Amino acid sequence: MVGVGVDPLERIERLASENAVVIFSISSCCMCHAIKRLFCGMGVNPAVHELDEDPLGKDLERALIRLLGTSSVVPVVFIGGKLIGTMDRVMACHINGTLVPLLKEAGALWL
Amino acid sequence: MGSQRIIGGGLGLSEAGPSTHHHHHVPSYGVLHGINSANPSTLINEGHAFNFGELEEAIVLQGVKARNDEGKAPLFTTAPRPAATLEMFPSWPIRFHQTSRGGSKSGGESTDSALSTKTEPPLEAESPMSKKATTPSSLDHQHHLQHDHHDASRIVGPSSSSQNQSQAKSPHEKRKGAGSTSEKPLDAKAYVQQLESSRLKLTQLEQDLQRARSQGLFMDCGGVGGNLSSGGAMFDMEYGRWLEEEQRLMGELRNGVQAAVSEGEMRGIVDGYLSHYDELFRLKSVAAKSDVFHLINGMWTSQAERCFLWIGGFKPSDLITMLIQQLEPLAEQQIMGMYGLRHSSQQAEDALSQGLDQLQQSLVDTIAGGPIVDGVQQMVVAMGKLANLEGFVRQADNLRQQTLHQLCRLLTVRQAARCFIVIGEYYGRLRALSSLWASRPRETLMSDDNSCQTTTDLQMVHPSHHQNHFPSF
Repeated sequence: MVGVGVDPLERIERLASENAVVIFSISSCCMCHAIKRLFCGMGVNPAVHELDEDPLGKDLERALIRLLGTSSVVPVVFIGGKLIGTMDRVMACHINGTLVPLLKEAGALWL
Repeated sequence: MGSQRIIGGGLGLSEAGPSTHHHHHVPSYGVLHGINSANPSTLINEGHAFNFGELEEAIVLQGVKARNDEGKAPLFTTAPRPAATLEMFPSWPIRFHQTSRGGSKSGGESTDSALSTKTEPPLEAESPMSKKATTPSSLDHQHHLQHDHHDASRIVGPSSSSQNQSQAKSPHEKRKGAGSTSEKPLDAKAYVQQLESSRLKLTQLEQDLQRARSQGLFMDCGGVGGNLSSGGAMFDMEYGRWLEEEQRLMGELRNGVQAAVSEGEMRGIVDGYLSHYDELFRLKSVAAKSDVFHLINGMWTSQAERCFLWIGGFKPSDLITMLIQQLEPLAEQQIMGMYGLRHSSQQAEDALSQGLDQLQQSLVDTIAGGPIVDGVQQMVVAMGKLANLEGFVRQADNLRQQTLHQLCRLLTVRQAARCFIVIGEYYGRLRALSSLWASRPRETLMSDDNSCQTTTDLQMVHPSHHQNHFPSF
């Protein structure tokens, strides 16, 4: 189990590598809802980690802010353990055609 | 930018003769006299961003017209036609219009008495002149052309001297300046220029207003801009200018295609058009911060475009569907790419729409309130949720921007040019449709008056605008 002493960034990395697609989200956030719908609509089953339902969620959020350099941090998407980014980045990748190959490479999509 | 187009037209007009000038000039005066409510001095003090491009365009047009009318070649704005200004100085000798600066010589003394009738005090001589001197080269070019017609004793125009206009003294000035100090003629000059620039600014603002009206923005509102916030109004002005520039770029695209320019040059033109759209999205992101509702309810667009609005703009997948039909001869790979782009876009649009639906639902729940309604807390929470709207508009614009860029990547340079021409014409026709719809004859007498006036205004203010809308007619 996760102890209090674990570095939040490490925890993020660990969580991100546990599944092909990992989304850090906040349950009440509508943009997070949108990104979940996007992946589900593509036939991907992402692992969603709701920060507001995590006892150490605040630490994780702060670590993500430092990682991304923006204050509006959710949703954040990792694919195949690698950081993709927030909604901006995910949509840009989808439109320019790089998202699907990434998903296939990570084993999140088969077709 | 836009001014160069008109200046080119201005040069063309100079060959056509005075009658064409007169016809061309009527609109601006019609507009000027049509709207009497605006007080010039308040407009001067408003501090709006002032488009010097259109100022110089108007100045050049007047200069060229005056040249044709008089058979002489004044270098600057002092044509007899703008009676509003010159009639204020009845004691000013006829020779006034022959000088570039007006009042630099003997005219200078007579202005002092008339100065008291103006609401605006004379400015520092430096500012208007230095501004004129730093206008882009097109104005300078025009003056150089006219300058050739002058004899050497004429006062030099603003183009041929640098910033320190107030200190430049031509031999002519020095000769005639006996008895008058160096200050007096310059104050008068600066003053007249101030008046001219204010009048032109007034015309400019009125034209902006007319343009906004002709786009059907205010057509269905009771009062003009009744609910318009300053952020929204600012965006509407910027959007109006954006549209003008877009028309100019469309012209470049069409010329490039017809003239079959080199690939490199075409690439430059296409990139220019794409950058112009980038600029629009930048403007929209700024506007979203100040007034997101203005963008979402589409009051900045024409009525027909508003009909198809999706989160504050066009729906990318609809655009691609239209393009697939219009850009018929495409390679198989490109067609596949277009369909793929449409598919990705639809998925992204669905996701954003669902996110927005959830936001709406959440907001409704908050506003409706639970069994215990806590007014202030409720509003605070609702405000927090509303703030997310900006994020959705931003993402929607991001999607639109990415789609346009991807289109460019999928197509060859010439195909991309054709693609942008199709897009530009498509939205241009939607706007024209909106204008026509807004000015259609209606039953009541009151409406007939309005519609007649609107139609006339449309014809007067934007003849070229409509030409662009129906090139195939």
